[in-house]
Amino acid sequence: MSDFRARRPASPPSSAQPYGKLSSAPSQRFPPRPKDRLDADERKALATSGYPRQHHPLGGFKLSSGEVKLLILVVVLAAFVRLYKLSEPNSVVFDEVHFGKFASKYIKTRYYVDVHPPLAKLLITLVSVISGYDGNFDFKDIGKIYADVPYVMMRALPAVMGLAVVPLTYLTLRGLDCRATTALLGSVLVAFENSLITQSRLILLDSPLIFFTSLSTFCWVGFSNEDKAEPFTEQWWFWLTLTGLSLGAVVSCKWVGLFTIALVGLCTIRQLWLLLGDMRVPPRLFVKHFCARALCLIVLPITFYMAMFEIHFLILQNSGEGDGFMSSEFQHTLQGRGMADTFADVAIGSEVTLRHVNTQGGYLHSHPHNYPGGSQQQQITLYPHRDDNNNWIIRNALEEKNTSSTDLVYLTPGMTVRFDHISTNKRLHSHDVRPPISEVDFQNEVSGYGFEGFEGDANDNWIVEIESGDRKDPESKKRLRTLRTYFRLRHPLTGCYLFSHKVKLPEWGFEQQEVTCNKNAVKPNSLWVIETNSHPNLPPDAEKVNYRIPGFLAKFLELQRVMWDTNAGLTDRHVYDSRPLSWPFLKRGINFWVKDHRQIYLLGNPFIWWSGTAAVLAYAAVRGFLVIRAQRGYKDFLNTGVVKADQLCGFLFLGWALHYLPFFLMERQLFLHHYLPALYFSILLLAGVFEVVTGALRPRVRLQIAGAIAVVAILTFAYFSPLAYGSSWTRSKCMRAQWVKSWDFSW
Amino acid sequence: MSAQGDREFHGATSPSPLESDKISAAVVCTLTALAFALRFYKISHPDEVVFDEVHFGKFAGYYILREYYFDVHPPFAKLLLGLAAWFVGFDGKFDFESIGDSYSKNHVPYVGIRALPAVLGSLTVPIVYGIMKQSGFPTAIAAFSAAIILFDNAHIAQTRLILLDAALVFFMALSLYSYIRFRKVRYSEYTAQWWGWMIATGVFLACTLGCKMVGLLTFAAVGTAVLVDLWDLLDHRKGLSMDQVSKHFFARAFGLILVPAIVYLSFFWVHFKVLKFSGTGDSFMSPAFQETLHGNELLLNSHEIRYYDTLTLKHKETKAFLHSHEEKYPLTYSDGRVSSQGQQVTAYPHNDTNNHWQVVPTITLPPAGRGRIVRHMDVVQLLHVPTQTYLLTHDVASPLMPTNQEFTTWPKGDESRYNDTLFELQLINGDDGDPWKTKSGHFRLVHVPTKVALWTYTSALPAWAFKQQEVNGNKNAQDKTATWFVEEIISDENGHDVHNRTSAAEPKTVKSMNFFRKFAELQLSMLQHNAGLTASHPYASSPINWPFLLSGISFWTHNDTKGQIYLIGNIFGWWTCVLALSVFVGIMGADALARRRNIKPIPDLVRNRLLNSTGFFIGAWAWHFLPFFLMDRQLFLHHYLPAHLASALVAGSVLNFVLTESINYPISVWGPNLHTGASRRYYTDFGSKGVFTVGAGILFLALTFLFFAPLTYGTPGLDPEGVNRRRLLSTWTLHFAKVSNA
Repeated sequence: MSDFRARRPASPPSSAQPYGKLSSAPSQRFPPRPKDRLDADERKALATSGYPRQHHPLGGFKLSSGEVKLLILVVVLAAFVRLYKLSEPNSVVFDEVHFGKFASKYIKTRYYVDVHPPLAKLLITLVSVISGYDGNFDFKDIGKIYADVPYVMMRALPAVMGLAVVPLTYLTLRGLDCRATTALLGSVLVAFENSLITQSRLILLDSPLIFFTSLSTFCWVGFSNEDKAEPFTEQWWFWLTLTGLSLGAVVSCKWVGLFTIALVGLCTIRQLWLLLGDMRVPPRLFVKHFCARALCLIVLPITFYMAMFEIHFLILQNSGEGDGFMSSEFQHTLQGRGMADTFADVAIGSEVTLRHVNTQGGYLHSHPHNYPGGSQQQQITLYPHRDDNNNWIIRNALEEKNTSSTDLVYLTPGMTVRFDHISTNKRLHSHDVRPPISEVDFQNEVSGYGFEGFEGDANDNWIVEIESGDRKDPESKKRLRTLRTYFRLRHPLTGCYLFSHKVKLPEWGFEQQEVTCNKNAVKPNSLWVIETNSHPNLPPDAEKVNYRIPGFLAKFLELQRVMWDTNAGLTDRHVYDSRPLSWPFLKRGINFWVKDHRQIYLLGNPFIWWSGTAAVLAYAAVRGFLVIRAQRGYKDFLNTGVVKADQLCGFLFLGWALHYLPFFLMERQLFLHHYLPALYFSILLLAGVFEVVTGALRPRVRLQIAGAIAVVAILTFAYFSPLAYGSSWTRSKCMRAQWVKSWDFSW
Repeated sequence: MSAQGDREFHGATSPSPLESDKISAAVVCTLTALAFALRFYKISHPDEVVFDEVHFGKFAGYYILREYYFDVHPPFAKLLLGLAAWFVGFDGKFDFESIGDSYSKNHVPYVGIRALPAVLGSLTVPIVYGIMKQSGFPTAIAAFSAAIILFDNAHIAQTRLILLDAALVFFMALSLYSYIRFRKVRYSEYTAQWWGWMIATGVFLACTLGCKMVGLLTFAAVGTAVLVDLWDLLDHRKGLSMDQVSKHFFARAFGLILVPAIVYLSFFWVHFKVLKFSGTGDSFMSPAFQETLHGNELLLNSHEIRYYDTLTLKHKETKAFLHSHEEKYPLTYSDGRVSSQGQQVTAYPHNDTNNHWQVVPTITLPPAGRGRIVRHMDVVQLLHVPTQTYLLTHDVASPLMPTNQEFTTWPKGDESRYNDTLFELQLINGDDGDPWKTKSGHFRLVHVPTKVALWTYTSALPAWAFKQQEVNGNKNAQDKTATWFVEEIISDENGHDVHNRTSAAEPKTVKSMNFFRKFAELQLSMLQHNAGLTASHPYASSPINWPFLLSGISFWTHNDTKGQIYLIGNIFGWWTCVLALSVFVGIMGADALARRRNIKPIPDLVRNRLLNSTGFFIGAWAWHFLPFFLMDRQLFLHHYLPAHLASALVAGSVLNFVLTESINYPISVWGPNLHTGASRRYYTDFGSKGVFTVGAGILFLALTFLFFAPLTYGTPGLDPEGVNRRRLLSTWTLHFAKVSNA
């Protein structure tokens, strides 16, 4: 050890004090210790008693007064571009057709069915009611001039929500520990994004959706900051609850809000996973963490979502266009669709109507028109409305008809019966002839056959097979009871079952639903139920039944299923639909409205849009490269700068991916505006990349770069702004703006 | 390698007598013999066409007749069936028209054809045994996994018939087996053995894919394992240089991508070589393809079109002719929009003189000779012969689609709208100078000023146009459905029949086409048709039903004997597999959570085995099952069979884990890259209790199989009571379950 040489001279011995005056001050050769930095002993003491308690700003958002002023300036600018000439055009634009119509329906309290949950539509309705709308405008076609509609106020709601996204962007980025320059740049980019502006200036649901998406992200960032500082404080609960409510709101606007829930959910799982690995956290505390999050992030959003539907049902109490989507039980709850009580016991001689259980096709029906092909006998169809042609009398097929007329012979399983159609005097009949539409081997035609005095033949016979009864009515399993027994009718000669499916007859069948006899019948489509029933021998005070009124939960679940099916059924092509792959590259926009050589065309700000996509790709490439480097033994991830940048960009990248990639799995019609939530995250990520890339620069240079980017973005916005506002444009400018061949706005 | 868990790792240091090679050989022989017995038992029954034999029997016949056919599945398994049919002397004359047609009456050597799937199905059983044995599981466990396949009613029913799944499952199992063998020799890289097993994996993967497109899932399963393996090699702690890693990478790319690609292409090469005559599949292919087939109609009847010929133009998709008649469009439509009130242009499916159009040139023509032929990219006018008006389109919305342009016609004498009557003739895949031909010359007609394409679709116009099909201008001029062709030449310029002109032409010879273009075209249309199989089928089921065996498929019924073949698995075996899958997921999940809290419930050595071996099986199961949830086409229970095989492997390894925590170790072959001569060997400590459990399990499998056997073999027939006893789940739609009412 003789050659050991200390790098620094040893501290001056305390006994020798050449500079006596300084003896009490700390040594000048070491920088003074910051106040909030603790030495090892202090940290150890604190660690044993829990996390360090220190003051921190609410949610980690510390804004200086200068920042606030700048932010206000940006918000004012954003307000100007969003509210400018909001009253133009004064006619219906694009999907205002639907969402304006729904507001009218709420006001008229007429039931409708839509694929989207009600919150955003309720908000629009609220605004229109406050502004004195009476619900009499029909929003029939794009381009129809508004009359007596406070459409400016209705458009102002999405506009204000779109506006609120701008400060939320700023705060979110600040909460993610970005510099003020970065946050300012992010909010300017959001403020001048053409597609966000266009979408928020009309009565559409996407602006509320994006608002709640950004609000949820903001709240989650606030919560995460609180969680890092100190859990279970009042603020911690405040932010957590707010996140939950906001998540409930986002999914109550559109179902794509589920992607936001997925984002917060994945981040929560990561938090919990880290907590689980933290051996300082005892199991009891972990369970507390887990339960708090489950309560606020699962239970609360679900409750909120259901509450929205409760409001929806409370408002829409009357029958309307949406009735046909719902089950008979549901329809019974709507005023104007109710049904009088009917007799419970079905017997030989009962006059009944039979309803098909699985489709909303309606009642077994016949009318004095014949099939044009096949047997050319009388048509049997399903008809959705109440009508005398739905009435049938049940006869016994095997026994003599003159049994003592006062006895009630109940219908039991295995009984062979015939159905007489009252108004045309025909019988329900089937034979080995292919039906008109479903001409396949296992389907037989069902027709009305017979004439007065005709005894009927064996092809008129049907065997009753009870499928299920009602739990609360044990009798209904043993014999046929109105509304309670689901049964099938088997045709004994051919072994087929009376069947119907969602196939419409052509014009000669008045587009009613086809009824066949199916040898391979799927069970749900061969189930029937008796809806109304009367019998001459039943005393008027005999037992009566009616539909059971479904509770809220049953109605809620049924509506969810209907919405899901309707949504999945939206597979028709639309002229302006697009596939997800084209979105990040902004291949094509959507024509919203054209009139008098003016056009509103949904198109993003190409500069911001493409830069956002570039940021996404750049992050993915760099991250992939770093992972491979790590596998080869490079220690990049031990560098705190890299880790911090990765946490910031990784969170935003996850947000983008979760709001974008799931669309690839959807078969339904998709439109460019479905990308907007993902676009929001790509803009945030762009700001994040800016933060990381300019990290080493001097603040002044950084500000200049940000300024340059913002100016380019604003100029691009101005260049394309006539498409957003539908203002006049010269032909040459319009042609020149067509940077990409597939932007089909000039015509 | 040391067991560092909270509990010490236990294992026997000497093998149990059951593990000897002799016993193992005896077990595998017994299993194979049983497999053959169960699959060949009454293979001649029923002597009728069953279920999809309708298709695959027919295809075998086409190979023998060498007639071109089209199917969504790749050709390998069908080639094998065709080979078997040829070998047993089938003449291809029977057409397998519908289920229930008799074989014996038509003298079809069907037993020989069915024998091929049965042999492949039987051989799958020893392969499963081999997979388990090679993965280091004891004999009894390997026998258990094999027995799940051996006694499985669904596998047996599917492999006794002329279907593709036997070959698919066989090659899928072989791929897994070879990959495991390859993985085991990883310490002696680049040796002959190493290359051999890797290339074998590649070849078998190609065979799997050659049977059905779901073979891609086998590719994905093995591919995932290969990627994980490569990722581990990339790890710097392995100490491999980048050069070494990339050598590994390219070796695998060669063996597992290039070799399979060549093998897969060779199936198609044979397919095209064999099928050289025109057949039922012609119309699925492009004209260029069709002209390579002997006796094809296009080849015989395709004529060059000259200017001033009168033609009929047919829309390829809807098979309707371009039509016009004197009636005008009404001024206003029901939705309030207005029309040009021009003459209607529609599409009409039947022959009519109103379908006749004359091609009018826009350039001056030479008086005679080949200069008068219409060629690709020529600008032409179409004259409607009966009304002497030119076809025209303009910026007026069509009657039904406000976004598309209206088509109408304009009187011959009036030159004021000349530009609007100009159309560019774009032949599909045409090159400059290509002549326009009848039948084979598919084309788009693009309007010169507005760039819209002549288009029609299935919507009918209202009564004012006699419910004929709407024709309009599609702004997407590249739309595939905007394709038309010339059905026939009615007459030439002077009104003469053109047959004289064409008969003078030289006799047609079969054209050749680049193999890769043929392959690309066939592969593409296979995929498109596969995606288009969305019609509902009474026995189609959704994937979630499959592992739980909630529904089966009725293959065949016979009313007189009350016999039926119903595809349903061995419910005991299937539910065991599901249980094993959930146990594995549960154990690994719990272990992962516990490890977060520094508790190690499973010793590291056992955990590694679970992750690497059972994990691979689980991966294979997931890859062969989960992607079906994304498919929108018709799905059937038999699509689960490959996944079921993987789940049988999981069931064996989970049973091993449950019975004993000890494993056979090591199982990989020590090679030059790993010198661990000092390492100890462990053997599974299985005990008699384990053997007894496995024995009982196999016995149960056999009993359940026997109980359902009448539904698998279609004989003997069952009375309603017997049917109902076998109908364990109410969702099984068995026939003859009801007492018939007289």
